[in-house]
Amino acid sequence: MGSLGVNLPAAIVVGISLVIGLVMVVVFRYTSDQKAIHVAKDRLKAHLLALRLFQDQIPVVLRSYGRIVLATGRYLRLAFKPLLFVIVPLTFLIVQLDRYLGSMPVEVGHPFLVKVRMDNPDALNEASLQLPDGLSTTAPAVHVPSESEVAWRVVPEKPGEYVVNVQASDQTFSKRVVVGAGLQRLSRVRLRGKFWERIFVSSEPALPASSLIESIDVQYPARNVALAGFEWNWIWLFFVLSLAAGFLFKSILGIEI
Amino acid sequence: MKWSETTSPAERRRLLASLVVLGIVLLYPLRSHAYAGPGAGFAVLSSFWTLFVAFLYSVYAFFAWPFRQLFRLLRRRKAYGKAQIKRAIILGFDGMDPELTERFIAEGKLPNLAKLRERGTFRRLQTTFPPISPVAWSTFMTGVNPGKHNIYDFLARDLSNYLPYLSSAEIKGPKRSWKIGKYTIPLGGPRIKGMRRGIPFWHWLGEAGIFCSVIRVPVTFPPEKFSGVLLSGMCVPDLKGSQGTFCLCTTRLRDDKFREGGVRVPIERNGSSCSSYVPGAENPLQGGSGDELRVNFEIHPDKGNQARFTVDSHSFTLKVGDYSEWIPVKFSAGMGFSAHGICRFYLKEVSPEVEVYVTPVNIDPSKPDLPISHPVTYSIYLAKLFGPYATLGLAEDTWALNEEVLDDQAFLAQCYANHDDRERMLFDALEKTQQGLCACVFDTTDRVQHMFWRYLDDDHPAARDVPRDQRPSVIQDLYSRMDELIGRVMKQIDDKTLLMVVSDHGFKSFARCVNLNAWLHQNGYLALKVGKTESGDWFDDVDWSRTRAYTMGLNGLYLNLKGREREGIVEPGANAEALKDELRFKLDGLVDPASGRAGITGVFDCDSVYAGPYVDNAPDLIVGYGDGFRASWDSVMGKVTSQIFEDNLKAWSGDHCIDPRLVPGVLFCNRKISDEKPAIVDVAPTVLKLFGLALPGYLDGKPWTVAPPTAP
Repeated sequence: MGSLGVNLPAAIVVGISLVIGLVMVVVFRYTSDQKAIHVAKDRLKAHLLALRLFQDQIPVVLRSYGRIVLATGRYLRLAFKPLLFVIVPLTFLIVQLDRYLGSMPVEVGHPFLVKVRMDNPDALNEASLQLPDGLSTTAPAVHVPSESEVAWRVVPEKPGEYVVNVQASDQTFSKRVVVGAGLQRLSRVRLRGKFWERIFVSSEPALPASSLIESIDVQYPARNVALAGFEWNWIWLFFVLSLAAGFLFKSILGIEI
Repeated sequence: MKWSETTSPAERRRLLASLVVLGIVLLYPLRSHAYAGPGAGFAVLSSFWTLFVAFLYSVYAFFAWPFRQLFRLLRRRKAYGKAQIKRAIILGFDGMDPELTERFIAEGKLPNLAKLRERGTFRRLQTTFPPISPVAWSTFMTGVNPGKHNIYDFLARDLSNYLPYLSSAEIKGPKRSWKIGKYTIPLGGPRIKGMRRGIPFWHWLGEAGIFCSVIRVPVTFPPEKFSGVLLSGMCVPDLKGSQGTFCLCTTRLRDDKFREGGVRVPIERNGSSCSSYVPGAENPLQGGSGDELRVNFEIHPDKGNQARFTVDSHSFTLKVGDYSEWIPVKFSAGMGFSAHGICRFYLKEVSPEVEVYVTPVNIDPSKPDLPISHPVTYSIYLAKLFGPYATLGLAEDTWALNEEVLDDQAFLAQCYANHDDRERMLFDALEKTQQGLCACVFDTTDRVQHMFWRYLDDDHPAARDVPRDQRPSVIQDLYSRMDELIGRVMKQIDDKTLLMVVSDHGFKSFARCVNLNAWLHQNGYLALKVGKTESGDWFDDVDWSRTRAYTMGLNGLYLNLKGREREGIVEPGANAEALKDELRFKLDGLVDPASGRAGITGVFDCDSVYAGPYVDNAPDLIVGYGDGFRASWDSVMGKVTSQIFEDNLKAWSGDHCIDPRLVPGVLFCNRKISDEKPAIVDVAPTVLKLFGLALPGYLDGKPWTVAPPTAP
């Protein structure tokens, strides 16, 4: 809850869903062939009605089924054209939102894992974790040679924004860790290379290409958004609400979808 | 996809780039990509929903099918058990004339009809008394004479006030309403009562389990329930409740009204744009106050001969001489009450004046406010499949051409647009009706001949100023077009299919008008009030206390019978019979002094041509006008003028409402029919017999002897 008793994550999801629903139908309106979509939907309805009107004419019914499938394909093709226009900005928007709404900061006293993946299993022994005040390990590092991975169990002692350092050979790399509550921009992982994956999952600078370390991963707990008596993954809530908003606005604006 | 034809290089590059980006996005899937926004959601959800509904219906149909079959067996509906045919296709070409058909066949212009004649049958088809479409098609579908189906004309008269009403259907407001202040809230829908009696033969076919598709056969409004699908035809009203009221929106200020079928609406100029409205029905909430509903629209004249229109949320641009597509219009009465219609806009002029013709507002087939099909979903199905289409019974706006609001080309464009829709419906019905009956009536033949006969007639008063070598061959083109349609249908039939091409009547020139009311007046049978030499419409200024006979409508002549008409003076019985004989004697052979030709070639006593329970509603005499003549425009509307004979100067220049013996229809069949004098009343029993059904005893028609198919 926010300081005014407002469920801030839910309010953000609802607000964004409404705006996105509206924007999407408007984009849909101007990027789609409205007439063709109207015709395609009408044909689809006609073939459905044919099932009922000519129900005793088996060949007609079978043909109508075939036409329903074809008309559905045509409608999907027409409806996905606008998708080409929105998928990129929307994907990046969702990625950004996911950084705030997808996970929660680590809570004080709740242990979490810091995982480091190396180039090869032989280098695992060279990796060490350097923690700032306020964070401490609760167990020795666990090596998983099959995954070329080493993991530390860390417990935060007080809230704050920390930088942990991982040393491998003579190189040291940092990773941001957020401890506390509320909405904060979180980056789960810091990566070496993998440009597209970095775009989608990391908001930290890339590890140098010469680094022995492939990734440094902090396991934040997933966030659930409470609304209408249910706990929702924000993506599902966004799906339902933006769709409802889209249907509402398309009726108001007379847009064919 | 026709890539090379439809896509420019720039579009290709854009599409390719989009695909690359989409590919990259899809190749790096993560949780948030599972949903890419409402765009995808809408498409997936809608498609899924459609398929889900189809699936649900399949399950229902699968489990219900055995029960339906069992139900049929229990009712002993063994369809096709004794049938000689698997399918009957009846193409009705309203008004196709046998003389013209033979002429065009002889000239080699109708190869498919020639083929039908050669391999099957061509006969003149006896029509009804009188030879008017609603009468003849009612006889066609019921197999009985008008005395049993109760349709004698487009109009019938109200005995209490001598005023006309539509003979085929009665539409009234809802039974109950709720008055709140100045508002009247209708409680329930309008009440529609079909006035045609008799049972269409497709009812009996449906009872026997034979599926029927019936499209636009006249006098099928309101649609009756039966086992099949039906789209109503002639007599379906427009949204105003009339048989077609066009609208001329104009900046020209004129006070005069159109004689028939149209209203003039002013266009207001607002700077560079203009506004006007489409008039609709009376506001049902205003309880008969006369306030009409309206749909406003704006016109923005552009440079050049075009203008942009905005009607509700629809915007479109028209050039002068162009029709719009069917535009949906919603007449809102308030309090959630509205009526849905469709109309087309035709831009006549943008400079110096602005003039727009608007078709009568048709009932929207996708949201029918009145039932225009059986089942109701059939009209919706056709609208979804082919788009909006004309639903008005008399969809081709002959009045607008008569009133010179439309020119020949604009009228023809309207006719053939409707005709194309009808063809699409026919071929869909043929595809859906591989077994059973498929009957479709085309009105184009009738409307075009009515309006363009003047170019066929050497000396028609309405085309005297058009040199013969400049006259368009509209009617010949029309027949060729119908022949081409028949050819396409013939390609779809096998030897178990019966193909019949029928028309309800033929056609003749309508060059001279006969005002029978004027004749009755001048010969002492009809009296005007003292000091009057002419009457207004619908017998205004007629002195009924001294009137023995009158006429209204196209062929009917009525006695002012005591005890029947409100102010009747002719004693029923011997007096009435004597008066009828006297009128027949005097009218039969009535000569037009200008031409010396007989304006009337037969007068028929209803007692001799009709039999049945509704004979009392028939006119007392049926007047058969001669070739080249018809009831005058004024006489039809119950007006007494001083002239008995006059020239017909209107575009409506051909007609068939004359002596029935002069205008038989056509009968073509792909099988040999031995009967020499087939009549339209025989079609119903013939089809029933061919499908192996017992004939109901009340039928007047006799089934023809139809030979088995001959080898091609």
